[in-house]
Amino acid sequence: MDAGLLQQMLIGALLGLSVSLPLRCGQLSLATPGFFAIGGTVAALLSTRIPAFAGTGATSPLPALLLEMGLGGLLAGLLAWAIGGTVLRLRGIYLAIATIALVEILRVITLNLPFTGGALGIFGIPQPFATASGYAGFTLVLLALVCWLCARLEQLRLGRAMAAIRDDELAAACVGIDTAAVKLNAFVLSALLAGVTGALAAHFLNSWNAKVGSFDASITTLAFVVFGGSRTWLGPVIGGLVLTALPELLRPVGDLRLIVFGLVILLGPVLFPQGLITPQALHGLGHGLLGFGQQLRGYGHQLLERASGPRRP
Amino acid sequence: MSTAPLLEVAGLSCRFGGLVALHEVSLTVREGEIFGLIGPNGAGKTTLFNVISALTPPSSGRVLWRGQAIPHSRPDQLSRLGLARTFQNLRLFDSLSVRDNVLVGLHRFAASPLAAGLLGSATVRRRQRQLEQRALELLALVGLAEEAQLPAASLPYGERRRLEIARALATEPRLLLLDEPAAGMNPAEKNDLCGLIRTIRDHFDLTVMIIEHHVPLMMRLCDRLAVLNFGERIALGSPAAVRHDPRVIEAYLGSAR
Ligand SMILES: Nc1ncnc2c1ncn2[C@@H]1O[C@H](COP(=O)(O)OP(=O)(O)O)[C@@H](O)[C@H]1O
Ligand SMILES: [Mg+2]
Repeated sequence: MDAGLLQQMLIGALLGLSVSLPLRCGQLSLATPGFFAIGGTVAALLSTRIPAFAGTGATSPLPALLLEMGLGGLLAGLLAWAIGGTVLRLRGIYLAIATIALVEILRVITLNLPFTGGALGIFGIPQPFATASGYAGFTLVLLALVCWLCARLEQLRLGRAMAAIRDDELAAACVGIDTAAVKLNAFVLSALLAGVTGALAAHFLNSWNAKVGSFDASITTLAFVVFGGSRTWLGPVIGGLVLTALPELLRPVGDLRLIVFGLVILLGPVLFPQGLITPQALHGLGHGLLGFGQQLRGYGHQLLERASGPRRP
Repeated sequence: MSTAPLLEVAGLSCRFGGLVALHEVSLTVREGEIFGLIGPNGAGKTTLFNVISALTPPSSGRVLWRGQAIPHSRPDQLSRLGLARTFQNLRLFDSLSVRDNVLVGLHRFAASPLAAGLLGSATVRRRQRQLEQRALELLALVGLAEEAQLPAASLPYGERRRLEIARALATEPRLLLLDEPAAGMNPAEKNDLCGLIRTIRDHFDLTVMIIEHHVPLMMRLCDRLAVLNFGERIALGSPAAVRHDPRVIEAYLGSAR
C-alpha cells in the first residue's frame, strides 16, 4: 500500500477516536477539526518561525516534533477546558450546532491573524521524517498507544461513568456521578487528541491553512464514528481507516467522496444503528473464530485417525 | 447520634403549571425506620421523591437533611451526602453488564488519578479488584450473582428491579428511596422483596422510604406510613392508625355514595 495513503488513514483513525470520546458520554460534539486545526497551526508556526524547532534546512529534529505535538495538544485541551463548561450545557443537536460554530469561528480567526499566512496558509513546514513510511511508522506507534489508552479508559471509573451518562444521564447523576465534570473531561481529552494529531498532520502535509478545520471536516470525522460505531475504541479506528481510504481509491470520480459520506451518515444509523463495530459484534466474532478453530481441530483429529488407520481390530 | 431527624420535609409544595402535585406536605423520617408512602395514582408520591432527590425543584417549602438545609443541591451531591433511590420506571444502564451497573454505583469509591488509572498501577489494580468483589457481594445480596456478566438489558423485569436496588446500595446510602420496587412482581416475589428490604435495612443499618401500592404488604413492612391524596398528606402514623383513618378509607374506597 502507498505509505502516504496509509498515513492519512492513520490520521483519520486518530480523529475518529477524538470524535468518539464525547460521544461515549452521549455528547454530539463536532469540534474535533477545530482542535485539529489549532494543533496543526501551533506546529506550523513553531517549526517555520522558530529556529530551534526548524532544525537545519528541510529537516526538523524529532524532539521538536514531540514538543510541538505536546504544545498543540495542550493549547487545544486548554481551549476545550475553557469553553467546555458553557458549551456542554447544550444538549443533542444544539451542542452539535454550537461546536460547528466553534470550528467556523476558529477558522475565521486563523484566516485573519497576521501571522498565519491568510488563505494560503503556512508553507514549507520542515520534515522530521524523510519518507511517508517514516511518518506512517511513527503514527502507527502513536495510534497503538492511543488505542491502548482508550481501551484502558473503558475499564476505568471515567470510562464507565461516560457509558453510564450515555445510557441515562439522570440515573448517573443519582448514583453520585458529577455528570458535568465527566462530560468536560471527555471533551478535553477529545480536544487534546485532536491537537496532537493536528501537529503531526501539519508536518506530514508540509503546508497548513485555515481550511483544514471546516464544516466539511466536521461531517467527515463524524462519518468515521457513525460508520464504525462509538461503543468500543475499535469502531472509530476502523471507520477512520476505511472512510479515509475509500475516497482516495475512488479518486477518479472525485466528488463522489462527499456523496459517499452523505450516504453513510444517512444510511449508517438505519442499517447499523450502533455502527459497524459493536461489543456484541466483537463477541460474536470471537465466538465465530472459536467455532472455526474447533471445526479445524475436529477436522485435524479425523485426518489423524484416518492416517493412523482403523482402531478396531 | 444526632437528635435531628434524618430527613425533614417542611411545607413542601410543587406545581406544574396549574397542576398542584404537592400541597404543603410535611413529614419527618427517623433514622433506621422503614417509612411507607401510599396513595392513589397521581397523588404526588413520585414527585415527592423527585423533590427530595433534587430532580424537581419545589415551588415552596424545604427539605432538611439532619436538620440542615441543602441549598443548590444537585443529585450527585445528594448521593455523596447519603441519599440513593430507585425509579418507578426503571433507569438502568442498559448497555452495561449487570456487574458494571453496580460498579457505576461504586463510582465515588473508585477515585484514582487518571494517569495512574490509565497506566494500571498496582494500587489501582488492587483497588479495582476490591470494587469488583464488592459489586459481586451486592449482587449476591439481591440474588443476582449468577447474572453478573449478562447485559443489564437482558434481565427480566423483577431482576431489573433488584439490580436497581443493588446499584443504589453501592453508593452506601444512609437513606434509600424505593419507588414502587414491587411493581410487576407476583405475590411470591413481593414477599421475597419484603424480606430483602428488611435484610438491607438491618445489614446496612440504613433508613428506607418506600412507595408501594400493595397496602397489606406496606402494613406489614413499614414502621410508619404517610398517605398522600391529590398532593396532600392526609394521614401519617403507625400502620394500625393509618388503616383506620376515615380520610384514608375514603381516599381508597371513594365516598360511600
Ligand atoms: N414533570 C411533570 N410535569 C407535569 N406534571 C407532572 C410532572 N410530574 C408529575 N406530574 C403530575 O403530577 C401529579 C403527581 O404525579 P406523581 O408524583 O407521578 O404521582 P404518583 O407517583 O403518586 O402516582 C400527576 O398528576 C402527574 O401527572
Ligand atoms: Mg409514582
